[in-house]
Amino acid sequence: MNRTRLSNALSALALAALGAGCANLERSRDIANPNVAAPVIAQQVCSMCHGLSGTAVSPNFPNLAGQTDTYLVSQLKGFRGHGRRDPAGFEYMWGLSRSLTDAQIEGLASYFSQATPLRQPVEAEVARVQAGQVIFEQGVPAKNIPACAACHGDKGQGQGMFPRLAGQHVDYLVKQLKVFQRSDDRPEGAVMKTVAHDLGSDDIANVAAYAQALPNR
Amino acid sequence: MRHPADLGKLESRDVSRAWQAWWLLLAILILGMQPAHAIPLFNRQTGQNCVACHAGGQFPELTPYGRLFKMTGYTLGERIKVPLSAMAVVSQSSVANTSKSLSPSTDFAKNNDFILANASVFAGGKITDNLGAFIQVTYDPRAVLNADGSYSGHTNADNMDLRWADRFVGADRDLIVGVSLNNNPSVSDPWNTAPAWMQYVPLPSPTSSQFIDATTPYPSYSSGGNIAGLTTYAFLDRTWYGEIGAYGTARGPLSFMTRGVTPRTTLRGLNPYWRLAWNREWGAHNLMIGTGGMYARVYQDPNDPSTIDRYHDWNIDAQYQYLLDPHSVTAQLVYASSRHRYPDAQGGQPASFVDAAGNPLPPSSFQSSTHLLRAKLSYVYQARYGGSVSLFNLSGTTNTANQTSGFDPATLTITATDPNATQLSLPVNGNLSGNPGTRGGTLEAFWMPVQYVRVGAQYTIYTRYNGASSNYDGLGRNARDNNSLFLYMWMAY
Repeated sequence: MNRTRLSNALSALALAALGAGCANLERSRDIANPNVAAPVIAQQVCSMCHGLSGTAVSPNFPNLAGQTDTYLVSQLKGFRGHGRRDPAGFEYMWGLSRSLTDAQIEGLASYFSQATPLRQPVEAEVARVQAGQVIFEQGVPAKNIPACAACHGDKGQGQGMFPRLAGQHVDYLVKQLKVFQRSDDRPEGAVMKTVAHDLGSDDIANVAAYAQALPNR
Repeated sequence: MRHPADLGKLESRDVSRAWQAWWLLLAILILGMQPAHAIPLFNRQTGQNCVACHAGGQFPELTPYGRLFKMTGYTLGERIKVPLSAMAVVSQSSVANTSKSLSPSTDFAKNNDFILANASVFAGGKITDNLGAFIQVTYDPRAVLNADGSYSGHTNADNMDLRWADRFVGADRDLIVGVSLNNNPSVSDPWNTAPAWMQYVPLPSPTSSQFIDATTPYPSYSSGGNIAGLTTYAFLDRTWYGEIGAYGTARGPLSFMTRGVTPRTTLRGLNPYWRLAWNREWGAHNLMIGTGGMYARVYQDPNDPSTIDRYHDWNIDAQYQYLLDPHSVTAQLVYASSRHRYPDAQGGQPASFVDAAGNPLPPSSFQSSTHLLRAKLSYVYQARYGGSVSLFNLSGTTNTANQTSGFDPATLTITATDPNATQLSLPVNGNLSGNPGTRGGTLEAFWMPVQYVRVGAQYTIYTRYNGASSNYDGLGRNARDNNSLFLYMWMAY
């Protein structure tokens, strides 16, 4: 008798839990419901890897805070349409972006582009940062490599299609430079293939170190 | 059926057949199914690769994101039309010594054979914005060893976890709360040092493969699974995790959680479960230090209240991960303590065996305790090649009731037949000391040719078994005779 009451109570609780959870637009993690507002997706889904305000704890995931609106829209659409197909992109982002509407993508871009980038500790050693500064500001004329600052801004703040680099994780920048250099997995950034083509491994590490350190300089 | 004397000696025809089977299966898997969409339930729901949620793609170990996916009730993603997926493990095991046994044909029946270890179907995933489920039903082709040496398969409820969860996020707060209705203490836990998750390659039937890593001592809750529990949990600011709940017999509307399991575990009343963990993530690193425990009262005979075993289990666990493509490193450490109080009538009973001189042994204990220490370090490169090393040390109190071999009072010779028992003890699992002490380690190498297939080889070494390093059964079997090679292929769709 007592036992039956116990299991009935447990079942009733389970049923109550069932009833309590239909659509919950304010805190939904549904990435295929066009009615879920972009800030909700940003907080409930994107934040798991990219941080609540777009600053990612793990260097496996790029910081999004303060990224340019145009760039974020183009990347999300690139993931959704499979135009961007570097491993880090398709492994994580193809699925999450596959059902987003244009309006949601624009809303997400707006959410993160308006977020204030947090000042992060410098990840690389000083010598790399200093060597990277030269490449960032002057390019490598002998190899016809233009200055990063020419397109990405003197403080690496980005503009339009040219992404913000300042404060981005070193590991992410290095990996993406290698993607541009060695593959055609990011056709929207084809110009970077030419730019990065002759950058050596050390150059890549240095310039990434400088870009990451930028907000602190 | 092979003659017992032939067991352990692998004929060359058998070897080539076994290899043919391995390669054929692998070729079908790799050529027949290309990534990235023909993959299991949660992948279809989120559209992501295994590596997003599983550290280095090494299922079932979770990444920080995988843990959040679980804690938010499997509700991230989109509901899929056919919420099903399947998994199967094929394996082959080989024990160092199969001759020191009174009955090799039953002790090592499937030694060196390529077998289907088990197969599971999963159902669930996202149900609503707040509800999700993880329901596993498993088929074991060698669940029962029949008297004629043949096996009978059996399907039963395996891990089940139905959740309601919500996440309250604001500028200065991140709170996940949830309720889990589940059938296995700690199956709801997001870390893989939890007893339900630390042993990670699905276990073939012990009657067909023993002494492999999966049958070495792992932390566990003494109540076992296939009971019913309701737990509630919270995760605050990705730092503090707490969970409390209670488990009881899976009966009435909850009996589906124990479907196919006989005999059903019967618990007395509600049995408390608790868990507390501190978590920190920095850069590519994350660390968890936690503790958990359960108090369980389990009936030996559901109709007789005087036959209750009382278990008090608690553990301390820690897990560190470094996850930065292409490297995944995981270190795990668990200390598990279990205190077992026997039914009053079973303590203080005279021992059936005697010592070598014919003197009586101490009577059986009223309670006993075990302490298990387990550590594991694993590394995966490019979510493709990996390896691990793990160490285990189980120690505990000696209890003459645990002796399954000893000196026969009449003949003063060692026998594996308990004079008071009605069945023959399994000699290779004989225990002359009455002590559970078992120590050793497992080395593993694995390869994931595609993200939903893992091919692995494990070698398990024993330096101590059932309380002794040599002659642990009194019949000459040594701990090292149990060293085992285990090959497996684990596939999921």
